[in-house]
Amino acid sequence: MRPHDNRAWFLVLPALALLGLVGALPLLAVINYGFHDIFTLSDVFWVGPQWFTDILQSDRFLASLGRSLLFSTLALGVQVPLGIGVALLLLTYGKRAVWGLMLVALPLVVPWNMIPMFWLGLVQPETGLLGPGLAAIGFDWKFTGWHTWALILVVDTWHWLGLVVVLAYAGLSAIPPAYRQAAAIDGASRWAVFRHIELPRISGALAIVFLLRFVDSFMIYTEAFAINAGGPQDATRFLTLELGEEIKGFSYGQAAARATLYFLIVLAVVWAFVAATREREG
Amino acid sequence: MRHLGILALAAFILLPLVQAILLSFTATLPTDQLAEGTIGLMNYRNVLADPELRAAMVNSLIYVTLNVALCITIGLPAAYALARYRFTGDRHFLLLILVFRVTPPVVLSLPIFILFSHFGLVNSPVGIALVHCLFNLPVAIWILESFIRAVPREFDETAFLDGHTGLSFFFRHLIPQIAPGIGVAAFFCFIFSWVEVVFARILTVTGGKPITMAIQAMFTFQTDIGMVMAMTCLSLVPGVAMIWFVRNHLARGFTLRA
Repeated sequence: MRPHDNRAWFLVLPALALLGLVGALPLLAVINYGFHDIFTLSDVFWVGPQWFTDILQSDRFLASLGRSLLFSTLALGVQVPLGIGVALLLLTYGKRAVWGLMLVALPLVVPWNMIPMFWLGLVQPETGLLGPGLAAIGFDWKFTGWHTWALILVVDTWHWLGLVVVLAYAGLSAIPPAYRQAAAIDGASRWAVFRHIELPRISGALAIVFLLRFVDSFMIYTEAFAINAGGPQDATRFLTLELGEEIKGFSYGQAAARATLYFLIVLAVVWAFVAATREREG
Repeated sequence: MRHLGILALAAFILLPLVQAILLSFTATLPTDQLAEGTIGLMNYRNVLADPELRAAMVNSLIYVTLNVALCITIGLPAAYALARYRFTGDRHFLLLILVFRVTPPVVLSLPIFILFSHFGLVNSPVGIALVHCLFNLPVAIWILESFIRAVPREFDETAFLDGHTGLSFFFRHLIPQIAPGIGVAAFFCFIFSWVEVVFARILTVTGGKPITMAIQAMFTFQTDIGMVMAMTCLSLVPGVAMIWFVRNHLARGFTLRA
């Protein structure tokens, strides 16, 4: 058991100060701006909770919220099982798995703004490596809503699969071999081994995967904007795209109120998540 | 069957990269000397001959290095405290860093810009290095904490009995012991900082452009896509090198403590 010693705070203090400067201070500022109408920085009027009620009552906000939630659900639904699958596959390769890990980690080092460019180039009907084939089967990401969705989902999966695989692999490879040997002696099926031995042992690793992937896909901006700017006909208008529009339109008060709302949604998810984790750990 | 799965995975991951690499060796804008479609190194020569693009690479390297150094030096003591002691509010601190890690950058971009322009940190690599700590410091703390916890307590106590205290313990004993952890933490900080665009864009208005923004600026009325891809491929080099360095420790990953 770790001893109780409040002097440990001295070691944590620098981290706390830095996060206060780049995290807490701007966060307070953004909440404060949300209650003001901002023309210029010296021309600021108190408007109370008006922006918040405006946003919460608008159908566009609710529709975007629905789209973002659906996108996160799809992203998690595809990437988590796929990532675990790949990790299990790599596990069968023993020491050579490290090459697989390096492979899936590659997309993580690509600058975010170039990831949509790569894929747009790839599906370009005339010049892309996949373009002519996709055009032949009628794939049209510019004007067909669900094709845009599919493309963004594939791009996001390409980008982040590596993180899921690395973390899932870390959890899986830490399971002592004796567990699997015991299961083999008992004649347990592959599914039973996964369900009762592997899944419980990687739940800690999966927890962080779920949280990071949820938040990052919920707040997807760079890829979604570059691929179709929310189109066609607002089919991929996610929450962040609306925020981006307001910032570009210099409606800083509304943008701050919206940012505050998004932060509160994320906070609620984190809180529910941590509560669930602590419950499970007792 | 399983080889097939790996092949499909490799194709999926490599396909966009292959197209980018092919394009980077192809002349995509016809010039007086070169016809479109010529294969060669001209795009790389053009990129390296451009002082702005060279400056962008240096800018990126400076702020990423600064960020990694900051996250490790500040994260290490905090990780040690969390791994070895309980203290009033330790769980709140863990919750706090988790919240900051998941706060979407776009939410904070505006006040960060205003705050940093007060301190003269706009257009400077220091500003970006500081603000990237928002999401990198929590990750660094999680990784370092899990590596420190794997070191038995007796190790610390032996070092203390030998008369090592404070700094000398950290530098002479703990750091060599958890060197792989520092490598993994540096890797994750590096990649998250190197590829980030929201803060990097908002904090570089007129100068100090990082590599991501320099690439963005290359998209113009008549984009030389081959040159863009050459620049992008060059931007991948440090990241790929990082993957190579930490390859044997990558599988340690990190878990959440909440």
